[in-house]
Amino acid sequence: MKDKITTILGVGIAVCVIFTLIIYLGAKESIEEFDLFSILIVLILVITSIYLVWDRVKNLKAGLPAQDERLKLAGYKAGYYGFIAAIWSSIISNLGYNILFDQELRGGLVTAAVVLVSGMVFMISFIYFSRKGN
Amino acid sequence: MKTRIKEYRARYDLTQEDLAKKINVRRETIVFLEKGKYNPSLKLAYDVAKALKTTVDELFLFDEE
Repeated sequence: MKDKITTILGVGIAVCVIFTLIIYLGAKESIEEFDLFSILIVLILVITSIYLVWDRVKNLKAGLPAQDERLKLAGYKAGYYGFIAAIWSSIISNLGYNILFDQELRGGLVTAAVVLVSGMVFMISFIYFSRKGN
Repeated sequence: MKTRIKEYRARYDLTQEDLAKKINVRRETIVFLEKGKYNPSLKLAYDVAKALKTTVDELFLFDEE
């Protein structure tokens, strides 16, 4: 039951993100390079999320658990690397922008960079550890 | 680490999926266990041994250095 609720939530969140992205793109008059980069990362996150949800649904349909100890361990490891990536991206995004353009990066953009980079690192790490074993 | 899970599984004519259902894990976990690519927790090792009607010592072989 808990697995089903988690899967439905995952699908719901992915749908909401895609919907938000469509509205955002529709409202924008012109798309800048930074926007393209952010959209690409969001799309990658959504696609990998859909893959993970599909994987869970496949296992549930086969009568197997959506998640077991091995996958939980992969999640913990990926979470650790995502956390490290969040810290480093918060420092590097602001510092790098300051060095390159001699300006401060807006707080909202730093937050976006942290969320996107840590999300990407988490997803990639999770898929890698779940396929590689320990 | 080597395991004899595949050997015992064949003995009882169980597929990887059957064994996974018995011990409530994903099929990929059984694949990783058989290949020796995943070190199970004590509980999982015990559950696998119990499902295959043997002991943990018989099922999991550690290389002695």
